[in-house]
Amino acid sequence: MATQTPTAIEIERTREPNGNAAVEAALNRRYEAGFVTDIESESLPPGLDEGVVRAISARKNEPEWMTEWRLAAFRHWLTMTPPHWAKLEIDPIDFQAISYFSQPKNRPKSLDEVDPKLLETYDKLGVPLHERARLAGVAVDAVFDSVSVGTTFRKELAAAGVIFCSISEAVREHPELVRKYLGSVVPTGDNYFAALNSAVFSDGSFVFVPRGVRCPMELSTYFRINARDTGQFERTLLIAEEGASVSYLEGCTAPMRDENQLHAAVVELVALDDASIKYSTVQNWYPGDENGVGGIYNFVTKRGDCRGARSKISWTQVETGSAITWKYPSCVLRGDDSVGEFNSVALTHHRQQADTGTKMIHIGRNTKSKIVSKGISAGRGQNTYRGLVKVEKGADGARNHTQCDSLLIGKKCGAHTFPYIEVKNPGAIVEHEATTSKISEDQLFYCRSRGIGEEDAVSMIVDGFCKQVFKELPMEFAVEAKKLLEVSLEGAVG
Amino acid sequence: MSALLDSLLGERAAPAALAGVRDAAIAALRDRGLPGPRDEAWKYTSLRALEQRRYVDGDCGARTRPVDVAFLPGPFAARLVFVNGLHREGLSAAGAVTGLAIERLGSRPDELAALLRSPPPADAFGELNAALALDGVRVRVAAGARIEAPVQIVHVGAPADGDVAWSLRVQVELGAGAQLRLVEHHVGSASNANLASIVTAYRLGAGARLELVQLQDAADGGTLVRRSDAMLEAEAALDLHTIEVGAQLARHDLVVGLAGRGARFRSRGVFALHGRQHVDTRLAVTHLARDTACDIAWRGVADQRSRGVFHGAITVAAGADGADAQLANKNLLLSAQAEIDTQPVLEIHADEVKAAHGATVGQLDERALFYLRSRGLPLDLARRVLVAAFCGAVLDGLEPALRAHVDALLATRLPQAEVLS
Repeated sequence: MATQTPTAIEIERTREPNGNAAVEAALNRRYEAGFVTDIESESLPPGLDEGVVRAISARKNEPEWMTEWRLAAFRHWLTMTPPHWAKLEIDPIDFQAISYFSQPKNRPKSLDEVDPKLLETYDKLGVPLHERARLAGVAVDAVFDSVSVGTTFRKELAAAGVIFCSISEAVREHPELVRKYLGSVVPTGDNYFAALNSAVFSDGSFVFVPRGVRCPMELSTYFRINARDTGQFERTLLIAEEGASVSYLEGCTAPMRDENQLHAAVVELVALDDASIKYSTVQNWYPGDENGVGGIYNFVTKRGDCRGARSKISWTQVETGSAITWKYPSCVLRGDDSVGEFNSVALTHHRQQADTGTKMIHIGRNTKSKIVSKGISAGRGQNTYRGLVKVEKGADGARNHTQCDSLLIGKKCGAHTFPYIEVKNPGAIVEHEATTSKISEDQLFYCRSRGIGEEDAVSMIVDGFCKQVFKELPMEFAVEAKKLLEVSLEGAVG
Repeated sequence: MSALLDSLLGERAAPAALAGVRDAAIAALRDRGLPGPRDEAWKYTSLRALEQRRYVDGDCGARTRPVDVAFLPGPFAARLVFVNGLHREGLSAAGAVTGLAIERLGSRPDELAALLRSPPPADAFGELNAALALDGVRVRVAAGARIEAPVQIVHVGAPADGDVAWSLRVQVELGAGAQLRLVEHHVGSASNANLASIVTAYRLGAGARLELVQLQDAADGGTLVRRSDAMLEAEAALDLHTIEVGAQLARHDLVVGLAGRGARFRSRGVFALHGRQHVDTRLAVTHLARDTACDIAWRGVADQRSRGVFHGAITVAAGADGADAQLANKNLLLSAQAEIDTQPVLEIHADEVKAAHGATVGQLDERALFYLRSRGLPLDLARRVLVAAFCGAVLDGLEPALRAHVDALLATRLPQAEVLS
């Protein structure tokens, strides 16, 4: 960047009162995870019709019922139109220009056969596979583009009775579980992108924690979009039976791209009586460059169903990547005394746009939900919290508290809050509060008077702003999330 | 086309000057129709039932029909009474007040037509208002003038031959530094099921100050769709009290633009609903200039089978640095069949801002109830005391006589609450 002729924006920026060279360098930093692994992909040609859906299903050796399920979803998708209600400016997406399946050519039979280059990619990203996985104590179901290439710790998990595998494998080996739960939380026709995902989902993770089992380790999937112009459509299904508990981590980075890549994932969680699921995400996909060129389009449907009494589902997310984020991890609080939580940090810089939030649907009695949302906007980023808290008639004693705070860094960004509160039960208590402000001059001045540089001061203040969410993250994620925010925000002040 | 529009958009005898406006509005309505369930602005208010109804276009007997209305107490500089959308000379009263000009537009169709076109209607109900308009009024306060006693505008809905649909356009203009107190009173003469559309625009010049009270006590069976559009120049201040207790279906779009530096908007509102009432308030405040402020506190009580909807959106435009925006919405849900939907929205495009909003939905505080009962108040009375206090918190600042009237009115509307378990 430094060797190029400065663009108009850069020149303008250097004229800003507090601009300095270090700030410039940091602002123009390249996406660190931006590299492309050169592995031949076996992709389907771009386009989408019933033939493509059948081809995907055939390549995955799926049974007839699965193919039919996909086709039903595809037919429904054809009748739908993309949603326009989000506060996002998106050029129309040509769904026929996308290839709906790609996988590394040499299909590995075990981890040892995995292409070294692939492992190298994970290495660069810090994915703890092989011995590293063992050392880190994390079981990883790594998804490279669309096919699981290796799953570790299967045996240890199997001993505990936990099933952790790719969803394709689950379709073949545990069809009764998949048939019972797939689409039971997010129906195929739920929304435009969920329908698309249901038709063409490539792979993803399947977790089943049986009755009474506390999953012995934290489960983790590292997604990575790789092949050019290939949408990735993961499908994750996680079931915790009565009294089971599990913590699941999901993290994402993707190589640098010029064209927008489409990503439409569906995550379904099912918690039966007394079960508890903690789902954490750090999302750092390529956000596009400072002019908004490239970047991932991220349209995700995540929903947890607290089906059983006293069940608990907790979503924690740190969203720093993607050009477009459209994502509302939700909880359906069906069981009496069930609990839903949503903790989120979303950061938009340059021309990133995020429209994210949650839905808490209170159906059972004495259901409780808590929402903490922290939005940070910098550059020309647009950050929107959109949330629904709905208390149905039968939800006596329902309780919700929502806090959404936005922090603005710079003159050209935006921070927006669209909460929907619908209450039909007079025994419910629902509270929502939101604030928007820029980084306090007083706090900055205090830090600076103590000899702390402006960059560090901003970083400290932002860290404090997000602390409530970070403390919900598992340790290794918290460290990564903190670093991500620091890096993403360097130079945003001025 | 819906039965509603079919019944209203036919041929009718009207001043030629208004024909063009009406034709354009009808064309727009035929093209666009009324908002449907997928329209975000009408998410919580269904117009399905309304669209199935048929109305008579205007009340030809409005100028002579006897009405029985209790006017608000207290002195006034002028009282303008409209019955089913038409001005009633005999009920109105206005003395000569220096600096205050009241222009009735029913007899000046050219001016009314011009007013209906500028600005053009903002939505389908704005078009309906323009299509049905036969009368209007313009209230002007000269620059620097201070009008001491309030001006009252009384909108009376009265039973006519069949259910009538009527509309009225009101324009309120304050010159630079002018001051006015304005009371808008929506009241039913007797039970009726009319459809009323009122569009009011307020223009506040630099440094002008408008104290506005909107008391909506329309007839129980009626439908009332209102739009209040305020634009404030530099240092102008609008202080608004809104009380909504009437109508079967009431929708109020309150749009405020803080266009000049230092403009301020303060708003206190309350709705108290019972029966099958549905009241939808949609407030949109936009900070367009530097150092503008808004402070909004709205409270709602929904009892029996009623539904209260509140949407409070604050937008701070790029460049409107120094904006200070506060919104609080608190609601009491008193019945298992009632519903409250609230949506506080912030859209911030500038960074030197302080913006906060809060919304709650809950019920009476058990401890407060217990306290009152331990002092010997029966449960029913204790409830009424607490609900009255809840509503009263946003009524401070009303003139004592008016406050007493509003308190009494609220008391008749507030719970005969069913016992909560």
